[in-house]
Amino acid sequence: MIKHYFKTAWRNLFRQKFTSIINIAGLSIGMAAAVLIFLWVKNEFGFDNYHKDADDIYRVKNYLSISKEDTWVWENSPFLLGENAKQQIPEVLDVCRIRPLGYGTQYFNIKGQFYGEDNCAYIDSSWLHVFNYKFLAGSAQAFNDHPFSMLLTETKAKKYFGNENAVGRMIRIDTVDYQVQGVLADNPANSSFQFDVLVPLAARTENPKNKKNDESWGNFNYITFLKLTPSGDPKKVAGKLKEIIAKQREQNNLDVSLQALKSLRFETDLQNSVMQHSDIKVVYIFAVLGILLLLIACINYVNLTTARATLRAREVSIRKIIGAEKKQLFLQFIAESVMISLLSLIATMLIVQVSLPLFNRFTEKTFALSFGSTDLWIIAGSTLFVTVLLTSIYPALLLSSFKPLAIFRGIHVLKLKDGTLRKGLVVLQFTISIILIVGTIVIYSQLQFVNKENSAYNRSQLLSVSVPYKVWGKYKEEQRVGIMGAFKEELLAQSNIADVSLMNSESIVNMEGSSSGNSTDWDGRAAGFTPAIAFFRVDTSFKNMVNLKMKEGRWYQTGNGADIHNSVLNETAVREFNIHKPVIGQRFVSQGDTGVVIGVVEDFYYKSLHEKIGPVVIRTADENNTTFLIKTAPGKIKEAEKAAATVWKKFYPTEPFSANFLDEEFEKLYRADKKTSTLIWSFSIIAIFISCLGLFGLAAFTAEKRNKEIGIRKILGASVTSIISLLSREFVYMVLLSMVIAFPIAWLAMNKWLENFAYRISIAWWIFLTAAMIALAIAMITVSFQAIKAAMANPVRSLKTE
Amino acid sequence: MLELKGIYKWVNTGNNRTFILKDINLTVKEGEFISIMGPSGSGKSTLLNVIGMLDEFNEGEYNFLHESVHKMKEKQRSALYKQYIGFVFQAYHLIDELTVYENIETPLIYQDIKSSERKAMVADMLDRFNIVGKKDLFPTQLSGGQQQLVGIARALIAKPKLLLADEPTGNLNSKQGEEIMELFKELNNDGVAIIQVTHSEKNAAYGSRIINLLDGRIEG
Repeated sequence: MIKHYFKTAWRNLFRQKFTSIINIAGLSIGMAAAVLIFLWVKNEFGFDNYHKDADDIYRVKNYLSISKEDTWVWENSPFLLGENAKQQIPEVLDVCRIRPLGYGTQYFNIKGQFYGEDNCAYIDSSWLHVFNYKFLAGSAQAFNDHPFSMLLTETKAKKYFGNENAVGRMIRIDTVDYQVQGVLADNPANSSFQFDVLVPLAARTENPKNKKNDESWGNFNYITFLKLTPSGDPKKVAGKLKEIIAKQREQNNLDVSLQALKSLRFETDLQNSVMQHSDIKVVYIFAVLGILLLLIACINYVNLTTARATLRAREVSIRKIIGAEKKQLFLQFIAESVMISLLSLIATMLIVQVSLPLFNRFTEKTFALSFGSTDLWIIAGSTLFVTVLLTSIYPALLLSSFKPLAIFRGIHVLKLKDGTLRKGLVVLQFTISIILIVGTIVIYSQLQFVNKENSAYNRSQLLSVSVPYKVWGKYKEEQRVGIMGAFKEELLAQSNIADVSLMNSESIVNMEGSSSGNSTDWDGRAAGFTPAIAFFRVDTSFKNMVNLKMKEGRWYQTGNGADIHNSVLNETAVREFNIHKPVIGQRFVSQGDTGVVIGVVEDFYYKSLHEKIGPVVIRTADENNTTFLIKTAPGKIKEAEKAAATVWKKFYPTEPFSANFLDEEFEKLYRADKKTSTLIWSFSIIAIFISCLGLFGLAAFTAEKRNKEIGIRKILGASVTSIISLLSREFVYMVLLSMVIAFPIAWLAMNKWLENFAYRISIAWWIFLTAAMIALAIAMITVSFQAIKAAMANPVRSLKTE
Repeated sequence: MLELKGIYKWVNTGNNRTFILKDINLTVKEGEFISIMGPSGSGKSTLLNVIGMLDEFNEGEYNFLHESVHKMKEKQRSALYKQYIGFVFQAYHLIDELTVYENIETPLIYQDIKSSERKAMVADMLDRFNIVGKKDLFPTQLSGGQQQLVGIARALIAKPKLLLADEPTGNLNSKQGEEIMELFKELNNDGVAIIQVTHSEKNAAYGSRIINLLDGRIEG
């Protein structure tokens, strides 16, 4: 019986090639999108759950309220908290700590060659048994036994030592030689710990200065994980941790909580973090979008199948007359959608396989699709199941319900109800598509806006070079100024370098540091008002390099000795500090140094547009300035970088050189938004494409069904245009209705998205108009292709076949 | 074998009631061969469908093998016709996706008959109708006469007691039509009761009894 069902299904598939191809194309694209999205979603929800004790592991999280206005949320804790927690809190079974090896990129020195590595960390000895790591070579024992050990992931071991045994080899970082004591399997895609290089914490605390520094309770530098007893209450433990810290600190402005390892991925309130986090809302949104794409694809199948039901009425009638039960026919139609879905699944797997590299690059994950992977089959299997469920039941019910006499009554067996349902489904498809189109346009416009707002200076001509602390820290303060000055002079002498400014912040695109205004004062300041302030310390050339506009007063003058005590504020600072008028000349104490306000600059962006511009104080001349902002001659960015490298070699021959391109920094700042943009864009393309496939099929069917009517109309003198409009009108109405539904939803959703930005566009009417035009145009082209074909056909032929 | 008593069938259009069948009284004995004749729209096909239990009637009694069809639910009715009645159509109504062999086999599949048994039964039927060589062809590859042979073979495979044929030769040329009629005669001699609707006096003459319909009423 089953064999019979599938045989019939298979033959039907071939008889209706056109419909089958549309069905399989639509379904497989929809299913592929769903499979990929759910691979990612499953990965997000499965973050860090592969550790054996994942349920009992927590990270200490500190809330430091620095003023009434601001609370800083840190993933770091004081070093000694670990020991104290283990000794004093019975629920704590184990403690382990990690801290990055240093700020930014670390440079491996292998036989005199420098290699940059971004993900290096110190771990203490318990790290490797609290968390699960797989050793491919070497052992945790050997690693913990020697302070100057190193663990590499498989990829990194291959990078440096090829297929040779990495264990026992030496790698130098700065002046310290480390011996590789083990090779680890690469970190799983669903791990928060994407460190490729691990070094024992002992290597750091060997140095008494480091040890002393780390053991100060005021320094929050260690990400501290606790493994609790299974019955341990994280809230209670957090309370005890707070007590431990409070005992050691003078100020009582700290609160502690415990962050469960399994939800670490979705932590979004940290001030900054060395782990990557994602927003659980985003995961939900994409899960919903995945389901919607699958739904759109299934709608095609349902629509095309039920539309063609009239053609199947004859077959159903015959089968009933020769003895088929309703149940048997029902199963036959189920078999058909199972077969189509199975074929689509094969196509889906091909699409997934082909698009995987792109997907991996995009998600920055390394999903591997081995066909032995259970994850893949679970996801593909459930996608198939949902698809079969959505595509089979309604058409099968409808088709098997025909009365046997339908055969004698021609094709008028379908009730209006079914036609309405089909139109409703098309409207649903287009509603989703139009929402996505509006989304695409809004996101694109906002990113354009971001670009435009940030166009005060030409980023592509700016790069920055920072001298690391470990280099200039060796010099006395008086020496530093001299060396930096000489460095700057040397840079300026290069023909490809147009201008140079020495400043304190490593980035003007994304200035991360902000200081509490504790030692800042001005006349009229309310007692206790200590807002967070961004301090820029720059030299006189800074203003012109980034095109700061003076609103009032003046900029710093070269050679004006008094200026080192003075300050320039931005508009926001003037407003929020409520500086007395006239602003220029007011007393202003900045970090304990008393001077006056000499100028006000217009607000400028020094962070992403997601954040509001805060008060900025610009000061000049600081012996601790170590970053050179370099403006290149037009189009000479590469040459300028080379020139800077040459100068660097002269001053610091043994130090690795690296430059930051402001363009890249900017790119990084909006990477998440760019990704959203690309995603929504691809989703709308997929949604539109699948919807149009369905529309195309429906239009073809309508034209076919009305073949005779068209023939008669033409013989009666109807023009080609009037027939095209006759056939297309209905579809245009459907798209118009979709717009009415889609616009308010899109408006709400996109406003919600825009709220992520402190500075944003307002959604203009033309965005909706554009979306409307796009949707209508695409639908019209799709439909009229069939309509024109039908309208141009010779009427005699269509009538003859009757 | 079956008995129709005072069968009426009508449709209401607005305030008018149009009768399709009017006071039909008919008794068919086992093994009879009846031809129904009459002009277009006289209700021939409707009468045949009522007998075949595919169509309902508004009034009257219908007894089939001593069972009251008019009192039955649809499910029982369809069980009854599936067991005892075979249908042959003017337009053959074969399933285009299935081969000759499979078309004939399908009713057996729906009756859950074992595969080995099915094979034997279909082979018998192919033999009997001399179409063994065509068994793997699809209906569209056959001539009209051949298609109708397959249609009849399919109607007979489940061994019905009654064969209902709605203008079985209507789409065939006269030679093919004659062959089909000869076949019907043979079947009838084997004991199958036949009721056929036909326009042709000549074909009607194959039957043992002719019923004339006019405006839904049996004449004379």
